[in-house]
Amino acid sequence: MEQKDIVLDVRKLNTSFISDGATVHIVKDVSFQLERGKTLAIVGESGCGKSVTVHSIVKLLPQNARFTAEQVLYRRLDEKTGGITEFDLAKMDPKGKEMRSMRGADLGMVFQDPMSSLNPVYRVGDQVAEALMEHNRGMKKSEAREKVLQMFRNLGIPDPERRIMDYPHQFSGGMKQRVVIAIAMINNPEIIIADEPTTALDVTIQAQIMELMKELQLNMGKSIILITHNIGLVAEQAEDVCVMYMGRIVEFGSLEQIFENPLHPYTKALLRSVPVLGLADDQKLETIPGATPNPASLGVGCEFADRCPERSEACSAKNVPAYEVEPRHRVRCIKFSQFKEVD
Amino acid sequence: MLKFILKKLIQMIPMLLFISFLVFGALQLTGIDPVSYIATPDMAANQENLDLLRERLGLNQPFLIRYFNWVGDILRGNFGYSITNGTPIGVLIAQRLPATIELALISMVVSAVLGISIGIVSAIYQNSPIDYLGRFFAVLGQAIPQFFFGICLIQIFSIKLGWLPSSGRYSTYATPLRHFILPCLTLTLSLTSVLMRYSRNNMLGVLNSDYIKTARMKGISETKVYVKHAFRNAMRPVLVILCFRLPMLISGSVVIESVYNWPGIGSVITDAVIAGDYPVVMVTTLMVAASILIASFLVDVLTALLDPRVRLGEE
Repeated sequence: MEQKDIVLDVRKLNTSFISDGATVHIVKDVSFQLERGKTLAIVGESGCGKSVTVHSIVKLLPQNARFTAEQVLYRRLDEKTGGITEFDLAKMDPKGKEMRSMRGADLGMVFQDPMSSLNPVYRVGDQVAEALMEHNRGMKKSEAREKVLQMFRNLGIPDPERRIMDYPHQFSGGMKQRVVIAIAMINNPEIIIADEPTTALDVTIQAQIMELMKELQLNMGKSIILITHNIGLVAEQAEDVCVMYMGRIVEFGSLEQIFENPLHPYTKALLRSVPVLGLADDQKLETIPGATPNPASLGVGCEFADRCPERSEACSAKNVPAYEVEPRHRVRCIKFSQFKEVD
Repeated sequence: MLKFILKKLIQMIPMLLFISFLVFGALQLTGIDPVSYIATPDMAANQENLDLLRERLGLNQPFLIRYFNWVGDILRGNFGYSITNGTPIGVLIAQRLPATIELALISMVVSAVLGISIGIVSAIYQNSPIDYLGRFFAVLGQAIPQFFFGICLIQIFSIKLGWLPSSGRYSTYATPLRHFILPCLTLTLSLTSVLMRYSRNNMLGVLNSDYIKTARMKGISETKVYVKHAFRNAMRPVLVILCFRLPMLISGSVVIESVYNWPGIGSVITDAVIAGDYPVVMVTTLMVAASILIASFLVDVLTALLDPRVRLGEE
């Protein structure tokens, strides 16, 4: 694969939070590549650091967060010339002008809860237009309005001329999420980060929203990072999958590699605990034994060792590196130490 | 919006009538005989004279008739007379209310500007030295009783330094402004600290909300995030507190009035209650009730202006 096909190259991203004077390491040495025009799913249980990872990339972290990364390289493609411009987001000031020019214009984000993601006191049309006007200084209001209307039409919001004048409380959950998506996509960003975009919606609306995103991606060639704990969604949407556990990527690979040949014991356990159609009557759904450890009290070695059915002494001796088992399929498990170590 | 305001105004009328009825009825229950205040001792010895006086004053009429007479008089601007000194109540209020309103309104404006701005700066620079300093003064302002703070100010600025007069509203030796400073400062201190704490907490809550993240994700500047997206949402509860302080300042600045010998309405109310001057008690109670209704009307209008959910829900 050529370098220019990788739109986002994250290396050794670390984020920790300082609470009550103690530093808690939440995201550890996360590295992944997002391919242009593809969807990368990040899966893992609640609290594994998925959300913190993407918030670190766009640099919207709370005050008590500390962030370091070797690089968060974004490669912008100029559609006319085909040229590539590189930006290292890791070096940018979170509140600086440079980073702000990335947010909204190159990076769009769809949040988890559409109910609270829109400002209750402004008209939805104005909220979408604000994102547009911010990155297109001097654009006329009428022109912005046209673009917002077009976006609403693309997103299947009925009667857009009237609805852009409405306030968020006049919209249903699914419609609000469409507005949130409109805000994220109005500037036609290269990367869209969807942080559990359908968790707060009911199942039929979930399907509609995901279809919509898939369609937009196909039409416009966007790259998507999809955070979810819905394995079914991953199977439908993603090309690549990152499995995270306690702040580390324990396994990374293509959808086929992860689903057909899961290597890490955690990935295997995760896939076994998903309900599938055709489960026999008396067959119980498997669960992962034990509970998620407290991130503040983790020792060295593999984070999953305590709950792992295949653990050995060596697991807790030192931090486990990632091994490349087959091309682009990396796993962080000591069982594969005969393979090449990658970072 | 105009329809909304009109509707809220019209809703106040039955409320006021109901309150006036309660006030009038409650005083009937106290068993105070007004005649016993008016009649001179030798007149009181003769029961016939007392009955005649009662008949002339219309006190033998049924309760409802007397009530409507009273309300009718008030609507015509006749508030009745004080029993203790015979002054028309209208004159009494006109003498005392301006001093109270002047003090209340100016303290409110000063503390609103100070409290809200310090609160918001504290929230934006949370856990910075500015925030700690602001919070320190907020706790101090709420912990020190008003009368104590007032006495401290008099000790320092009037007695030790001799800069400002210690009491009264007008005098030959100081300008009205210099008379005004200490009472205003005392009232402002406590209100500023309340408003500061509310503004800070609301602003912090709003800054942690999802729509602020959405706004930041658009790439807009922090100033715009604070001014356009956070401020308006954080101010709604603060304005409610501010408006509902208005009636408290009008009826409840008795402490300030006695510390600074300020000729306001608060002392009129307390004196009337102590002396059993029931016509004054009735009118001033009605006045305080009306100021509460006005405050809640202001709250309704302001929240409707700030929040489309209220505005559109009512229309």
